[in-house]
Amino acid sequence: MTSGMAIRAFAFGVAAMGLTTFSADAGEYNFTVDRITIDAGNFTKQGVGYNNSQTPTILRFKEGEDVVINVTNNLDEDTSVHWHGLILPFDQDGVPGISYPGIKPGETFTYRFPIVQNGTYWFHSHTGFQEPDGAYGAIIIDNKDREPYRYDREYVIQLTDKHPHSGDRIMRNLKLMPDYYNRQQRTLLDLFKDAEEEGLRAALADRSDWGEMRMMPTDIEDVQGYTPLINGQYSGDPFIAEFKPKERIRLRFINSSAMAYFDVRIPGMDMTVVQADGNNVLPVKVDEFRIGVAETYDVIVRPREAGAFNILAESMGRTAMARALLTSDPSLEAPEIPELREPPLLTMGDMSLDPAMAGMHGDMKMADGEGDHSKMAMGDDEELPPGAHRMPDGTIMGGKAADPFYAGGSGLEPTAAEGGKFLSYSDLKAQKPLYPDREATREIELRLTGNMERYSWSLNGVKYEDADPIILQYGERVRFKFVNETMMTHPMHLHGMWSIIDNGSGEKDPIKHTVSVNPGTIVYMETEVDAEGQWAFHCHLSYHANSGMFRKVIVEGGPEADEASLSNPSNG
Amino acid sequence: MSKFTIAPAAAAYLVLSGAAAFADVGHGKTEAGEPGKAADVTKTIEVVMYDNYYEPESISVKEGETVRFIAKNMGEAVHEFNIGTAQMLIDHAPEMQMMVDHGVLEADRINHEAAKKMQASMGHGEHKMANATLVEPGKTGEVIWKFSGDGELEFGCTVPGHYDSGMVGEFSLTH
Repeated sequence: MTSGMAIRAFAFGVAAMGLTTFSADAGEYNFTVDRITIDAGNFTKQGVGYNNSQTPTILRFKEGEDVVINVTNNLDEDTSVHWHGLILPFDQDGVPGISYPGIKPGETFTYRFPIVQNGTYWFHSHTGFQEPDGAYGAIIIDNKDREPYRYDREYVIQLTDKHPHSGDRIMRNLKLMPDYYNRQQRTLLDLFKDAEEEGLRAALADRSDWGEMRMMPTDIEDVQGYTPLINGQYSGDPFIAEFKPKERIRLRFINSSAMAYFDVRIPGMDMTVVQADGNNVLPVKVDEFRIGVAETYDVIVRPREAGAFNILAESMGRTAMARALLTSDPSLEAPEIPELREPPLLTMGDMSLDPAMAGMHGDMKMADGEGDHSKMAMGDDEELPPGAHRMPDGTIMGGKAADPFYAGGSGLEPTAAEGGKFLSYSDLKAQKPLYPDREATREIELRLTGNMERYSWSLNGVKYEDADPIILQYGERVRFKFVNETMMTHPMHLHGMWSIIDNGSGEKDPIKHTVSVNPGTIVYMETEVDAEGQWAFHCHLSYHANSGMFRKVIVEGGPEADEASLSNPSNG
Repeated sequence: MSKFTIAPAAAAYLVLSGAAAFADVGHGKTEAGEPGKAADVTKTIEVVMYDNYYEPESISVKEGETVRFIAKNMGEAVHEFNIGTAQMLIDHAPEMQMMVDHGVLEADRINHEAAKKMQASMGHGEHKMANATLVEPGKTGEVIWKFSGDGELEFGCTVPGHYDSGMVGEFSLTH
């Protein structure tokens, strides 16, 4: 730590140049947290930004480096910075009330931790709704070794769902009226249309089922009406990523949205996914992929000819589209932005949680287990998945989704807009597993629960404020069973330790920090409990986490705890 | 396509008979050059294959020269050393994908049982290609190639995802 240490808060243009050289093994970084005005094109709003900018700050670290990060809070309220996906001591993790008290107005807080990993990550405020209000940035950590792939240039593509309302106001409105921001509600007209198609009784029965769930088939995005931004820029004034023909370009996608999942594609170009959540995966070529809230995906593209391409991120509920430009020459005319696709509708398949048909662990058992349903799966529909059958109301039940991470007959399962391959969690295989594959020492079931009518979200039916912490023992390998009993998709994020998704790849099961659990499915993830201290574990949808879908995790034991009890026998 | 033999692991290569256009590459003279004779070899070059890249990533050869390539797989995945134009390598990828789909090409080994089954059920043969070698982890493959063509040549790995994520190098041809 000398006086010559560099201050390296990269702007996008700087980080955009690939293959930068590295400096010392200890770096000091400074940034500020400021009240800013955010321009989303169709509205401006007061929000929060780093370094006085709506362009997200990029921090670039080197694996093996010890970082010192000074965060100055220029707000008139507390703030915090959480390093999403980074493995670090728990008191540096940046969650007020769990890791530390937070950062007071006017205070400069200094984080110090070693960088023990590489890849694409991000950082954000863990205080109130500052993150939806704009407090997020990107982290790039350069590999100490060679990457298992090659690229000439790189860009961060950081997504957000910028809403004209402040986070506090959105939360208040949702509490008052959970469908306040759902603009795709089914209307009386839809009922008449359905009745015409299905018969009035079936249409009414269907509606009564949905009513019992306190959900609607359109409950895919519960906060609509936002303008998506890429690197702080809207589609009309898009972020521009330049290339030379035949160059390989690494695009580091980060979804920093409060609530929105995006389906990403580059019409006319395939993408090779090489990393998910900062961990390299065996390369897989896709035409489109879905990025859940808080996830990251790194892809490599190689435009062979000069031209201008759209990088499109269409929201899962098909209410909004973000666009950046990938172009060999910014003076070229930008391609048109295509129309939004038809919004998906949730089905009874997404609603029913038959473990046998949920996730990849099920086979094709029938929901109600009676009779020969193959005979019911008739009609003119030849496209039912194997084992599926059609209910009298027209909903497809059971069967196996093409993507095992969606419920059988799911209305949410995506297909690629231009045809071809849509990435699935099943395609993700760790390039280099971090841990030996071993049997989990125990299983913890976490039911993802909620009551849409009161906009109340919880785990195992209990909200954060009423819940005991989850106690883990240092050294164990815990198998978490997520059972999604709600009709929304939840990106579950455990701080401090890796989440290894069981996708049937054994030792090559992918290593992530955020695990998306679709409606009506069960997903297993395993965690090697190798980090001492206390950590947050929550749904990363801001308004779900805030309303109670959150837990504190306490890790008991570990080298430091053992040492403490040895040196201080009274603790024994 | 005269011989159909089960080749040893390091050199075993499957080509689907339907993809004759590419299969021919290994036999006759093309813009990529032609199979070389061991007796004509003037130079031996070792190429090390890692996950998922080559060392070196550019190789200089003389026009008309016959070179023996020793392709050593130091990675944990199966890799290929395949000489061709960029288009040839791209065109070859779907065949490799089919081998994966039929369980012939696993991440870290070549499944010869599955290869036989694929041969039996689909009528496609196992076949040694002169311009490429598919190598299991820890093993070594060999290609003898005469650079008699005038095409812009690359060496690449067409195992799905590998070429696209950057497992490719360039030949520079000197006169």
